[in-house]
Amino acid sequence: MDREKMTRALKDATSNVMDRMFFQPVHFADSAHSLEEWFSHHRPLIGSTINFSGPLQGSLYLLMPAALATEITASFLGLEKDEISKEQEKDTLKEALNMVGGHMLSLVDKGGAFHLGLPELMEEMELSCDSGKEPKGETLFMQTENHRLAMGITISESKA
Amino acid sequence: MAFNVLIVDDSSSMRAIIKKIVKISGFNVGQCWEAADGKDAMKVLLAEWVDLVLTDISMPNMNGLELLSTMKKDEILKSIPVVMISTEGSDKAVRESEELGASGYIKKPFVPEDIKRTLSAIMGEAEDGQRENDESFEGCDF
Repeated sequence: MDREKMTRALKDATSNVMDRMFFQPVHFADSAHSLEEWFSHHRPLIGSTINFSGPLQGSLYLLMPAALATEITASFLGLEKDEISKEQEKDTLKEALNMVGGHMLSLVDKGGAFHLGLPELMEEMELSCDSGKEPKGETLFMQTENHRLAMGITISESKA
Repeated sequence: MAFNVLIVDDSSSMRAIIKKIVKISGFNVGQCWEAADGKDAMKVLLAEWVDLVLTDISMPNMNGLELLSTMKKDEILKSIPVVMISTEGSDKAVRESEELGASGYIKKPFVPEDIKRTLSAIMGEAEDGQRENDESFEGCDF
């Protein structure tokens, strides 16, 4: 299994889910950044993570400013921003990553060799984005019309 | 005739959006129940009259495939159409659902038309069946 293929699939899946389900087209940043730098003026952050296993195993994470989480939840549920609860935001963030993960795995393997876990919220400590605590692996830095977000993939082990 | 629908998903946001799409789909929808996993869904199915189940696959406690399998083993519940709505997009997941007796499969991310099209195929069949029954009863004295 090709790690580059996984990253390309993640890019396609993220773009597709953000556009189709949340009506938020994303533009990918050309150059590499650090999470600390990328989100320096876009706090507080909220994030979700999900594990996958199979020919490759690892995890995905999605990080975005709380303001974007409110925005995508409102557009997903067809409600006004002030009608959205924190619980709905957290739930939508987990479901967004779940959809991206499932879509990505179906793009790299039609045969169903991968298994996707259940999405979880990231702990506050994991959201600190301090230099030195940056997650290993590939990170995709993106922008919607008004906000920044990041999607990461870490591959911990290859069973193939 | 109104259809009662049960939506099963561990994401409350996903249940809400599916419910909204079902309600604006143009079908005569009666009750629209929600359950967070297969176990909760079974409680609703054993207590209420449900005409259609829309279920996620990946859920805690009892997943969608286990729910489908449990329903198909039950003499009463086995006739209820079950549509899987899942992020599991592999051919294997679709095939496994079909083999267990799912009536349809919608991959997330979806657009409202995906759900409307699937509902149309299933509800249309159900309505055709109802019409055939109505016609076959014509002229009968009860």
